[in-house]
Amino acid sequence: MFFELITRNSRRSRKENGLFFTTLLVSVIAFYIILSLSHQDVMLFLKTMESDAVNRLLTMIPVFYVMTLVVLFFLVYFASKFQLERRRHEFGMYLMMGMTRNRLFVLLLAEDIRSSAIALLTGLPAGVLLSELISLVTARLVGLEIIGHRFTMSLDGILLTAAGFFLIKLAAFLILSVKISRREIGSLLAEKPEETKRQHPAPVYGLALFAGILCLGTAYYLAIRGISWYQIGMMGITVLLGFAGTLLFFYGLRYIFNLIIKSEKRDRRLHVFNARQLQENVVRQSGTMAVSSLLILGALCCFGAGVAIAAYYGQSDPHVLDYTFIPEYTDEPNQEQAAADALDTLRKSGLDTEFSELFEMKIGDIRTAEDFENAYSMNEVLEQAAKFPASDDRDVLLNNLGFADFPSLISLSGYNELLRTAGLPEVELGEGEGAVYMDSSFLNDRQAEIMNTVLADRPEVEVGGNTLRLTGKVQTTAVVTDYSITLSFALILPDDAFQYYTQGQYDVYVNGVLDSSVSEKTGLMQAISEMNERLNETGLNYESYLQNMGRQLFYIVAASYITIYLAIIFLIVANTVIGVQFLMNQQKTNRRYKTLIKLGAVYETLCASAKKQINWYFGIPVFAAAVSSLFAVRALFTGLLSSVTRGSAGEMMFISAAMILMLCVIEYIYMAAVKRSSSRYLLTLMAPEREE
Amino acid sequence: MKTILEIDSLKKYYGKQGSRTKALDGITLQVMEGEFLGIMGSSGSGKSTLLNCIATVIEPDSGRIMMKGTEIHSLKGRKLAQYRGREIGYLFQNFELIDNLTGRENIMLPMSLHNVSDGESRKRLSRLASYLEITDVLDKFPSQMSGGQKQRVAAARALIMDPGIILADEPTGALDSKNAKTLMKKLAGLNEDENTTILMVTHDSNAASYCKRILFIRDGRIFHELRRDTPDETQQDFYERILKVMSQLGGGSANVL
Repeated sequence: MFFELITRNSRRSRKENGLFFTTLLVSVIAFYIILSLSHQDVMLFLKTMESDAVNRLLTMIPVFYVMTLVVLFFLVYFASKFQLERRRHEFGMYLMMGMTRNRLFVLLLAEDIRSSAIALLTGLPAGVLLSELISLVTARLVGLEIIGHRFTMSLDGILLTAAGFFLIKLAAFLILSVKISRREIGSLLAEKPEETKRQHPAPVYGLALFAGILCLGTAYYLAIRGISWYQIGMMGITVLLGFAGTLLFFYGLRYIFNLIIKSEKRDRRLHVFNARQLQENVVRQSGTMAVSSLLILGALCCFGAGVAIAAYYGQSDPHVLDYTFIPEYTDEPNQEQAAADALDTLRKSGLDTEFSELFEMKIGDIRTAEDFENAYSMNEVLEQAAKFPASDDRDVLLNNLGFADFPSLISLSGYNELLRTAGLPEVELGEGEGAVYMDSSFLNDRQAEIMNTVLADRPEVEVGGNTLRLTGKVQTTAVVTDYSITLSFALILPDDAFQYYTQGQYDVYVNGVLDSSVSEKTGLMQAISEMNERLNETGLNYESYLQNMGRQLFYIVAASYITIYLAIIFLIVANTVIGVQFLMNQQKTNRRYKTLIKLGAVYETLCASAKKQINWYFGIPVFAAAVSSLFAVRALFTGLLSSVTRGSAGEMMFISAAMILMLCVIEYIYMAAVKRSSSRYLLTLMAPEREE
Repeated sequence: MKTILEIDSLKKYYGKQGSRTKALDGITLQVMEGEFLGIMGSSGSGKSTLLNCIATVIEPDSGRIMMKGTEIHSLKGRKLAQYRGREIGYLFQNFELIDNLTGRENIMLPMSLHNVSDGESRKRLSRLASYLEITDVLDKFPSQMSGGQKQRVAAARALIMDPGIILADEPTGALDSKNAKTLMKKLAGLNEDENTTILMVTHDSNAASYCKRILFIRDGRIFHELRRDTPDETQQDFYERILKVMSQLGGGSANVL
């Protein structure tokens, strides 16, 4: 009998509170996915080459886990409180009929464990499946071969998920059940008396609203101007201002509601009733609403930050080269032989056929000047560039150019080979001419524009005492695959001039591009992986594109994984809190709906009224968060992205649009779910009651 | 005098066979325009069921309810809403004021519910408010009003749409005797001066003595009828007559009947 009661009660709670149960499920899934991150194909793969970074990320996972636990604890506590409040009368009846408090406690505990177990039993397999799916999709996206996938199940992940989940459920339960069991039976049985609302005079709220907007405005200003990023103290002040501003704003919101109610001349379709309901909810729960709004803002910021980080690391130079063979450094002044040896080795091991291109890239230093410090000067270039209107871009460029007093030299033939491979127009140089090469990480679009304008005037520069004319456009196609060879400023010279200025002492790198038929068959990553294994046997010293790609991939995966995870958690918590809060208030004030029914309101009218309230109840914090996010995400980009990667307006629009779309979809789902439960609840009120 | 409400052999049974309760067992009655009709009976006699059937809150199993010649159970959708809004005004025992709306907003609620334009009714509101002496509580919330004020605000809400009939369900049930007296005087006055038709369910004989006619119900049937012989009979005499019937109706004298 007792067990049957447990089963029936827990089934009923699940049914009545589907929203909450779904949230529990999602949190179980989220727990598992974050905990099993180390088992993802991409992570396993990255571990082999970026083990330091991967391990650093993996050590951060417990932090996220604990953070999630804390956030979800509040959610569970809140929603359980709602559930238990609803059943007060029932508990009172149990106690009246002679059930001991201990037994009631056991009953509730058993119900709680049962529903937690069901959430886990459904959530965990879903989590495992979803995590596998994510693993497969990401692997597919980055070109890891699908056959390489193996089904993994993180036992630690499962255990920690279950442990964490039970921990928060039990903690919330214990706190709540102690509160319930201390109550008098009479107070359990009685309808909960209305809390008395303390009203302040209207100007207080008006003032709060004004102060809130002021705080928010200041916080936005500090963040967008970048002032907050100067030091941690400023950041603290900004965050504090934002937090206080949001709280004050929501606290003062009732002022606006008062104005709306007073200004409205025509009261149709329960307009005043809806406004009063909303006003009361906002009055009572301005704190919760503010926190929900901040959580949604947090979610949007996480999403924005994830996109920003992914954009920063994902922004790769156009990919041309797959391999660079670096000849062992020898004492020989001429490295030509070493390069020829490397090519020979490739030919002997039959690997040369796997490459569609193999060519030499010669890079050297100015050796004609005795005084290395004055080997190169380009005053004309600097003067011309300084004439451009003042901007951060110009100043950064001037600063970089100022340091270029000993540029590397690149031979034209090798570089043109590279450009040909990349499908770009070749550089044409006459006698006494040179072209400028700058690595793309030192040059954004605006700066390239300045450089090109300067170069169009064919300025004169001095190289080792001779005069050269710079011509053409600034070149940015990377000379080798190696990430560590980054030339901030170099000169491309015709081969004769190159031989002269380097005095025949230069490095020769052999660049290779894999045959497209190989890389298309298995995916680039897999192709390079396999080639690496074969190359390791030849003893050649090489760098592959994989390292670069791996690094980018890691940051993209890590950033997107963690930020999206956090964004989802924040969104879930905020929306569930708002939704449960609404339903709770609706049930608390069911008398009002009953009165409306007695006054002749039909079901449709009530549902329409409730739906309108739901729209507003969700809409206010979401809208506030969306507005804040417009500033916050911009501020994040200011702080996180260097000027090189700060995207164009179009990109920002795209990111914002994607974010808003995502938010809309999620909000729509939640609002639909809450509307459904609200309508279902209102239907139960429609049945006439016998009153004595 | 015109018949405003006509009820013909109305039946409403609750429960399944074997444990059936006959809440209404074939009641037939008429209410004339401008009448102040009281319905009395002990707890469980079917008074509230009758009122709820008229208010279309519950549907009777059989029988007819005609309001101004229209069978109300044939009403659907907009017409039904129209009926609820325009034809009947409901006065509840526990006032049923919405606690987060001011007095004025509560009174205007039916207008809002039935999407009625409110130019005319604002005038009506101020007239009703001054008659019911609630003008100074219009902008207060129910928690700031006394019980009597609450019920008078509720009365104003029932009257705001100028309905054909007021259905009052134990309107004095939650009031002290002084406030009950004030309310009944106001209702009787409305009936006298404005020719408002009132159908009041009560088991307070004192309140019932304000009626012009009283029907006594027992076990879902009409058991007795009293008519006040106005203007010859004083309210006090009528009250004594009611008490006599009540004593026959309830408790100890059940064996006598």
